[in-house]
Amino acid sequence: MTGLGYTLPAVVAVIAVCALEFGVLHTGLFRRPAYWISMAIVVAFQIPVDGWLTKLSAPIVIYDERHISGIRFPFDIPVEDFLFGFALVTAVLLLWERQRQRDRGHGDNP
Amino acid sequence: MDRWQYLIVLAACLAITAPLELFGAGVFRQPWRTAGAVLPVAAVFFAWDAVAVAAHVWAYNTRFVTGINLPGRIPIEELLFFIVIPLCGLLSYSAVDAILGRLQRARTGSARK
Repeated sequence: MTGLGYTLPAVVAVIAVCALEFGVLHTGLFRRPAYWISMAIVVAFQIPVDGWLTKLSAPIVIYDERHISGIRFPFDIPVEDFLFGFALVTAVLLLWERQRQRDRGHGDNP
Repeated sequence: MDRWQYLIVLAACLAITAPLELFGAGVFRQPWRTAGAVLPVAAVFFAWDAVAVAAHVWAYNTRFVTGINLPGRIPIEELLFFIVIPLCGLLSYSAVDAILGRLQRARTGSARK
């Protein structure tokens, strides 16, 4: 109910990843159509996989209801998982882009 | 059989996305770049996971994990999750990027003719 254990850190993780891009790395990832198409694919696959992991009838991951918002959608997926997934995958893609641009020898814009 | 469930889910994710390696410069063929992108993020999320488990924010159903635990009472599956899911993301991104690049080159190529 408080959401302090998961909801808050999940929101902070998304803000931190955006701050990493706009404040530090400047890879231009968020301007690349390839990024948004990939994220749509990632979310499309997250729904069945995460749905399986969190289904309340036989959960693999069990959340303390006091630490989540209680909004589970779709299936029994806590909405926080989508923020978690966004932060995880985006952070990896940011580091990947930074290395690629470094190897190519320039910073901003592909 | 139940205790392999989490591991099987992860293996399925990797099996479905692995063929995307064939598009573009690939992920597995650039192991250093892949490690440089995946490992630092995995370390941060693993630490987050350890804190959440210690604080009882979430837990893993012992019925569906192998029982092999890492320090912090974290199932080995969870560490693999932070490697496998980023690999799936990278494989998707790398493939989409390669396909878009190819389409763009085809378009500019035909425009020049």
